[in-house]
Amino acid sequence: MTNSTNNWIECLKKETGLEAKEGTASLQYVLDVDKQEAHQTLAYLKRAGFGQLSLLTCIDWIEQGTFQLIFILMHWELGHHLIVRALLDRENPEFTTITDIYPGAAYYEREVYEFFGVHFRGSAVYQKPLFLERWDDMPPLRKDFDPQAYSDGKFPKREHPHVFKANVVEVTE
Amino acid sequence: MTLMSFVYGFLAILGAFVFQTSLTGINRKVTARLQKRRGPKWYQQFIDIFKAFSKSSITHGWVYDFGAIMALGGIAATVIFIPVAGFQSFPGLDNIFVISYVLAVGMLGMAMSAAGSGNPWASIGVSRALTNMLAYDIPFMVIVFTLIYQHQTGSVSELAALQQGAGIWGWNAFQLPLGGLVAVIALFGMLGKKPFDSFIAPAEIASGPMVEYGGKQLGMMFTLHELMTFIEVSLILNLFFGGGETLWVYLLKYAVLYTFTNIVSGVMPRFKIDQAVTFFYKVPLGLALVQGLLVIFGGWGY
Amino acid sequence: MQVTTKNDRSLWEVIGDYFRANSIWMKWYCTGCGAIEMPPTMTSRFDMEQLGMGPMATPRQADVLLITGYLSTKTLRRVIYSYEQMQDPKYVVGFGSCTLNGGIYYDSYATINQLDQYLPVDLYIAGCMPRPEAIMNSFATLIEMIKKGEARGWKHYQENYDWYKANQMDSLGEVIIHDEFHE
Repeated sequence: MTNSTNNWIECLKKETGLEAKEGTASLQYVLDVDKQEAHQTLAYLKRAGFGQLSLLTCIDWIEQGTFQLIFILMHWELGHHLIVRALLDRENPEFTTITDIYPGAAYYEREVYEFFGVHFRGSAVYQKPLFLERWDDMPPLRKDFDPQAYSDGKFPKREHPHVFKANVVEVTE
Repeated sequence: MTLMSFVYGFLAILGAFVFQTSLTGINRKVTARLQKRRGPKWYQQFIDIFKAFSKSSITHGWVYDFGAIMALGGIAATVIFIPVAGFQSFPGLDNIFVISYVLAVGMLGMAMSAAGSGNPWASIGVSRALTNMLAYDIPFMVIVFTLIYQHQTGSVSELAALQQGAGIWGWNAFQLPLGGLVAVIALFGMLGKKPFDSFIAPAEIASGPMVEYGGKQLGMMFTLHELMTFIEVSLILNLFFGGGETLWVYLLKYAVLYTFTNIVSGVMPRFKIDQAVTFFYKVPLGLALVQGLLVIFGGWGY
Repeated sequence: MQVTTKNDRSLWEVIGDYFRANSIWMKWYCTGCGAIEMPPTMTSRFDMEQLGMGPMATPRQADVLLITGYLSTKTLRRVIYSYEQMQDPKYVVGFGSCTLNGGIYYDSYATINQLDQYLPVDLYIAGCMPRPEAIMNSFATLIEMIKKGEARGWKHYQENYDWYKANQMDSLGEVIIHDEFHE
């Protein structure tokens, strides 16, 4: 379908109106999409030659009140990496499953649900536990989760008779 | 078959165990020196075995326990029939077929016991061990039949005695050089030395048949392994290297042969089981058949 | 909870302890970065085999469970499984500061902080990482402890089984493994 380097970028712009920018590394491109059109864009990109989903993960932007889903795709013939990013609402994080496009995404979706609590509509397995066994708190990679408090409450600590603290020197100008 | 025969038989088992275990300990030191290490004490193997006996043990069902005892009993019984420097506890019972069949009792006991533990690694290990046995046994048996045809006897002590008196050129290993080569290669397979040790590979199948053994059963397995090594090295020594005129010559030759396999094993990588079978059926079986044809139709060795 | 050191061994136990001290077979539970210090300890530079020690492939054959690094709750379940499969007498050695007090993972939601709450640790090796010299030194100590009959963690575990089980339950919920590969 595409032969020259920039062909898929032009086709993408012509057919969907989205523009892929150059990334920070060579052969790397970045594409920001809306939550609603992310699914069809990914389907288009798979047809355009991005056959491999390298990673699906999430970032918690707590100050903006959003989650950002990150899809890293790879084009095997051109060697291009494409980072597709979509913003979700932090209060009600929902997304449509992409297991119908990339079946291997099922495990990534389970991981993202477990660590961030993002729901993937349309997937039958995304709520199956994957890494955390018997987890009993909020998803642990959210920024408002306090690991110190959780660890203090759950795991016994060794008591240290001596606590060494750094001697803080106030520098006055 | 007097009472003294049984006493001698018991002493043979005890002597074989002490000698082979010391030799194993010395060979651990030899291997360590090959790898530029200092190595353990020479009696380390005794400590390991007695330590295993000093630990508690559990059972995985009666098949597991019974198989372990059957294996140790079968192997210990086989040691009695091995002629050492012409000496036999039960004279006249040292036919090669007797030894092969009694040895099979121990082998089957081991397979039964390991499979009875229910661990999948043990089953994989047992299947690999039996495949390995099938691989080395056929070339070895071809060359043993050649010997029996040539000398018209199946008695191990007679075959050993026939080679003596003509210096080292009288040994079957030099009289039938292709056969001697096959026998030494088969010895590596019998002892489970590298490159034919895929059935006890520790890293890939968690030491295979041994995976569920702990405590006293593990001690029995180690004892059994020492006795089995004694049987196998003795068999090759008697059939192809002239046995020994006196006990000391026999033990010296034995130590040299065992140390040789150990040193070669120390610098070898490991075959996969299918590679081992392919190798045995190509090179040693071919050599053994050529040797057999030369002896039977070419008149070599008469 | 201190390990009791009362010494009332029979003659057989004294003889057995001599053999056990001179033939230490280890199951390395290589959870963390500590496993990288074991190959130099085993190979020609430090050569642990001269003390009669060696690695073993399965917990059934091992005498020492060596925990080399941090333990997540998920790993701790498997470690408890492995420990309970070992044959008595058995010893546990905690390796590195992660098993002592959590190390740099002291505030992690997933890793435990103090191993001796869950398993009877006979000896700790402090450091992040302990060098092979420290490992050899600590095993010389362990050998002395076994010879004198002071390494009695396994008996302590039997006597205080309820206390250990309660701790394991508090932190893990349950020790039994439920996942899609264990059903």
